[in-house]
Amino acid sequence: MGDPQLTVEDLYVRFPTSRGTVEAVNGVNFTLEKGQMLGIVGESGSGKSVTAKTLMNLLPRTAEVDGNITFEGDDVRAVAKERRKHFWGVKMTMVFQDPMTSLNPVKRCGEQITETLRYHLGDDKATARKKAIDLLEQVGVPEPAKRVDQYPHELSGGLRQRVVIAMALACEPSLLIADEPTTAVDVTVQKRLLDLLDGLRRDRGMSMILITHDLGVARGRCDDVAVMYGGRLVERAPTETLFADSRHPYTEALLRTIPRIDQPSHTRLEPITGRPPELIDPDEECAFAPRCRYAQPDCLEVIPPVGGVRGQHEFACFHPANTDRGRQALDTNLAAGQTVTGLQIQADAGVN
Amino acid sequence: MAGTGHAPLRDDRDVLLTVRDLEVEFPVGRNEVVHAVSGISFDVAEGETLGIVGESGCGKSTVAKSIIRLNDIKSGSIDYQGNDLAHMEGEALRQIRPDLQMIFQDPISSLNPRRKIRDVISEGIAVWGNTKGSWSQERIEELMVAVGIDPKFGERRPHQFSGGQCQRIGIARALALDPKVLICDEPVSALDVSVQAQVLNILEDMKARYGLTLLFISHDLSVVKNVSDRIIVMYLGKVCEIGNADELYEHPRHPYTRALLASIPEPAPTVDVSEGDIEGELPSPIHPPAGCRFNTRCQHATDICFTDEPVMQQVGDSDHYLACHHPVEVSVSVGER
Repeated sequence: MGDPQLTVEDLYVRFPTSRGTVEAVNGVNFTLEKGQMLGIVGESGSGKSVTAKTLMNLLPRTAEVDGNITFEGDDVRAVAKERRKHFWGVKMTMVFQDPMTSLNPVKRCGEQITETLRYHLGDDKATARKKAIDLLEQVGVPEPAKRVDQYPHELSGGLRQRVVIAMALACEPSLLIADEPTTAVDVTVQKRLLDLLDGLRRDRGMSMILITHDLGVARGRCDDVAVMYGGRLVERAPTETLFADSRHPYTEALLRTIPRIDQPSHTRLEPITGRPPELIDPDEECAFAPRCRYAQPDCLEVIPPVGGVRGQHEFACFHPANTDRGRQALDTNLAAGQTVTGLQIQADAGVN
Repeated sequence: MAGTGHAPLRDDRDVLLTVRDLEVEFPVGRNEVVHAVSGISFDVAEGETLGIVGESGCGKSTVAKSIIRLNDIKSGSIDYQGNDLAHMEGEALRQIRPDLQMIFQDPISSLNPRRKIRDVISEGIAVWGNTKGSWSQERIEELMVAVGIDPKFGERRPHQFSGGQCQRIGIARALALDPKVLICDEPVSALDVSVQAQVLNILEDMKARYGLTLLFISHDLSVVKNVSDRIIVMYLGKVCEIGNADELYEHPRHPYTRALLASIPEPAPTVDVSEGDIEGELPSPIHPPAGCRFNTRCQHATDICFTDEPVMQQVGDSDHYLACHHPVEVSVSVGER
């Protein structure tokens, strides 16, 4: 295996605001191999979308970025400084959550695809139009020759998102970043869109980063899943490992808080108590400690570094779940009835 | 897909709310109408949680809004304790409304941003004077404690709370008038998963504590199953299948119910993933298909599905009803997942 296609090293993103500096991304490291599908899972404010926007150079000017991003040998942040054309939108493209706001309502769908082709690849009008119809067909839009002349409002949500995907694929990118691509659509449409993205990725040997808040979406499709919390990447592992043998207590808690379809109705859910972490001037401690059942004094002293087996199962926790250290920490806390942060905990049937 | 027919209606005395042949249409100009809800019937027993699932445009929110008369009803009746809500007007309707309260999807926009949350929660009581619920600071504080909001934050305004807290404030507000029925329209759809469980647990606790009957609307099949005793599956203004929550998910018979269960990212073990591959788009609710409304996308459709509308029928002798000419036999072994 050669160099990874994408390397993100020590990425920090800060937004100065009147209330203080929002530390949106705090030292994120990850790599992506060519052809790989990486899921980034996290809740609002975890930094997953900011990470994606940093890769795409879409952050507002006020953002303070630090760290290295290398993509196919290019230093992505240098590319941004040089204002180089034909990088974003060609090699690396992105699909956003809401298809209505990512399409121009007063332009026909076809024009929005040909615009990309004509600008980046210099295609003439006729070639671009032919390619656009072709692309619409590839993304499963019925009657592409007719749809190409329609406006976004004439299409359903699912079809609009397909048009957006066609736009993103127009210049045959080697990396597609999809930020919550199916959050705004119904489940039957979601399944078809995810099937489509998965198929396109395989056919084209394209890499993909799928950003989602839905663990189930990531589970079905991704090779690897990374979990973000409080601007940090807290765990990354091959998908099945992450779900079957999670290490970070946040991942474990997330998996247990979701109602499952195979549980009988009225099964009591296990909420994650407490609030999401403060991103303005956070303390130098594990961001999850105040909500963590495993928290010990050392969690409050320093931010746990990412450990585990590099490239296989990485996690940032001193007392990982499903390990002896974790079980010891949990037993100590259960015996005391509370954690070091004062979180009241009780034994329950689900704990193993 | 039909939904016409009264088979699922129960005649027990503890039925609190009975919706019969409800039909709702919205004019869209040029003498055309959207057939939002087309003749559906169901009932809710006292203390029960009825879940309604379906995709956008299936009419689930319209059903909820019709029950508290937030939109006009074309025909049908809604029987609540001997009163027909569908035909009540003026003062009589006003008098009965405190019994039926609603919480909405977007917790932040459903609270007035300029008012203190104590005032938001107590407004219903202020309007009703002392006739409904007991008007006192203690009552407001009790409600706030019940939903897990510290009463000392009563002077704060909605923007100072997170989405999950705002939804809990919305629940406290809905409970202030001692309602019998709480209608929840996608109450957790806008929340992060870690707070979703808190809100769902609070709803269950409040139901037990205040003896509520819940109507719970969501597009999330797992969430609906978790809170519901009985579930209705809707498609394009019609009911496909009604049944006991566990039974319905264990033995789904309607092709659309099965398609839904197969489409979710972690499909239900009772269906084959390929059943989720439903073709085409949702037909226009202005010109819905004749016969079964699911016929344009159904793998099992035959001639009869295009001419005759299926009627709700009971499955065996269980609490399970469906409207389909070709229900899927659930005894057949399900393919590999």
